[in-house]
Amino acid sequence: MKRREFLKATPCLALFGPRALPEICRDLDALEIPPQLSKVEARYYQKLPDKEIECQLCPRQCRLGNKERGYCGVRENSEGTYYTLVYGKACSVHVDPIEKKPFFHFYPGQITLSLATAGCNVNCKFCQNWEISQVRPEQVHHFDFPPRMVVDTAKKYDCPIIAYTYTEPVVFYEYMVDTAKLGRRAGLKSVVVTGGHINPEPLEELISVVEAIKVDLKSFTQDFYDQYVRGKLQPVLEAIKKIAASPIWLEIVYLVIPTLNDSVKEIKNLSRWIKAEVGPDVPLHFSRFHPMYLLRNLPPTPISTLERAHQIAREEGLNYVYIGNVPGHQAESTYCPRCGTLLIKRWGFEVSKINLKDGKCPQCQTPIPGIWD
Amino acid sequence: MAKVIVAHGEILSKNGDINIARLKNIVIKSLRSLFDNLALKEVLLQIFPRPGKVGVKINTIAGKKLSTRPEVALTLSQILAENHPGLSRIIIWDRTNRELKKAGYRLQQRGKIQVFGTDTKGVGYESKLTMTTNIGSLFSHIQSKFIHHSLSLAILKDHGLAGVTAGLKNYFGAIHNPNKYHDQNCDPFVAELCTTPPIKAKHRLTIIDALLVQFHRGPSYHPRWASRENKLIFSLDPVAADHVGWQIIDQLRRRAGLPSLAEENRPPRYLHTAEALGLGHTSTNMEILEVEG
Ligand code: SF4
Repeated sequence: MKRREFLKATPCLALFGPRALPEICRDLDALEIPPQLSKVEARYYQKLPDKEIECQLCPRQCRLGNKERGYCGVRENSEGTYYTLVYGKACSVHVDPIEKKPFFHFYPGQITLSLATAGCNVNCKFCQNWEISQVRPEQVHHFDFPPRMVVDTAKKYDCPIIAYTYTEPVVFYEYMVDTAKLGRRAGLKSVVVTGGHINPEPLEELISVVEAIKVDLKSFTQDFYDQYVRGKLQPVLEAIKKIAASPIWLEIVYLVIPTLNDSVKEIKNLSRWIKAEVGPDVPLHFSRFHPMYLLRNLPPTPISTLERAHQIAREEGLNYVYIGNVPGHQAESTYCPRCGTLLIKRWGFEVSKINLKDGKCPQCQTPIPGIWD
Repeated sequence: MAKVIVAHGEILSKNGDINIARLKNIVIKSLRSLFDNLALKEVLLQIFPRPGKVGVKINTIAGKKLSTRPEVALTLSQILAENHPGLSRIIIWDRTNRELKKAGYRLQQRGKIQVFGTDTKGVGYESKLTMTTNIGSLFSHIQSKFIHHSLSLAILKDHGLAGVTAGLKNYFGAIHNPNKYHDQNCDPFVAELCTTPPIKAKHRLTIIDALLVQFHRGPSYHPRWASRENKLIFSLDPVAADHVGWQIIDQLRRRAGLPSLAEENRPPRYLHTAEALGLGHTSTNMEILEVEG
């Protein structure tokens, strides 16, 4: 089955029936979820005296006593040993186009087996998936989906790529890394969609087992991170630099929220930083905000604001700038930065035309950075 | 002026047994002392002026050794049930049945006094978020729907982040995402949570089980820093009750040669925030009465 036919037949396929859908235990009948959580020893933590531990996976570095859980809610100290409770416990599994992540310069037109567990190490007030990211694993329907089954399922559904996404994959790090390793042995690629809150050492290991990472850069000010994300900006910038300096593919998404992170100054600073520290060729997606979760008092981002951000980033010298969540906008497509030829035509998550020749513009031969075949 | 009763008596023996008769006597005496020795039935009518169901929110996160003791919760519930005909049901509750059982509670979903967790079939959490200034949470249906009056029957412990966990912080167990409330020494999160309608409109009384107090390295149990204090704290003012709990922890720390919570830069600042938000009083405007039993 061709990819297009497949998507048509199964738009955003939920592979495991209704139980695969995010559904918090919200009503009277929905409960009695068996608390079958995993008890797999976590990686990247330090044992401390008196059965305390310090998690070293993300910059929060939660220090926890016996029986306590980290901020992400999915890792627990039990008698001085730290465990991940979500190893192989997926709460959302779908087949999505790679454009939905979004990756625009990484196997355009391919499909991914996309999965998530519960939990997140920040608390964005505009989270689209808060019903699975901001809950504990026992509060959401989940099912056993160990790494071997993920790989087998991806193959069964002809998905060449596994995507770790929807919530924050850093918090299900062990599950992600083991699945990616197994997937690679089976010829599958792995991509990660993350907020970039991860410490350098685990990030290094992650880079060695996956093929691409997309970072959601939520703003370019610490003030915004304090108020709307509850995280730190600097470690995210460091993570972006590290990924950019590695052999794997990187794309950046910036959700533009009216009045909060959309000023000309902020977009300029962001674009300059990306050009100087990451390079002009990293794809940058300005994505449209819709009122969500705890930020319902703001309107959707005006298209003109997104277009202004797009223009600023282009003027600052970034070569591949996109507008997202606006289906049909011309800035969804890829153009040659040198001669302006349309290279990849998109409509929403659909790719209708790929006009590259050996990874180059067919018109002026400019090499277009990305992973294409 | 906030009144806080600090009751003291040989309730918890060295081998861990509870003297139920003495406990009952002390609970009744303390409740009456809150209202200048009014008769018990009158006292309960003052605390629960309208008929309805009572939620007794306990803390069972740390297992049998360091949770609100079942004997305390059940004795209190019996006193309420026997002396206030308008209280149709008393629900002793916490987050999960697993934790309740581990802390020594027998689950019970029938009768006037019931014991169950939010994860019981047919209970669960609200689907609509309740917002604080900073965070949004889903409340347990027990707190939001099942009960009319709420009583925080907490346990007194040192807490590595919050400084102290007692009556106010006990309500972290009423929401689905307490892990998101631990930044900045839980300040202002504890206080803000307690200003939300499901808590503020229903909270009637704080009782703190300080029979065994973990004064260092909490909130988990470490026998080396746990002291058998044999105290119970009662107050209609949730901030004042916790403030007295804080003083007890600091006293024990001093006695053990440990720095105070303020010296360790983790005093429970959320109590001052709670006072500023109108939830009660800290050190000023407080009358502390001792009750022996
Ligand atoms: S991964 Fe979770 S437990 Fe570890 S430091 Fe981050 S928030 Fe804390």
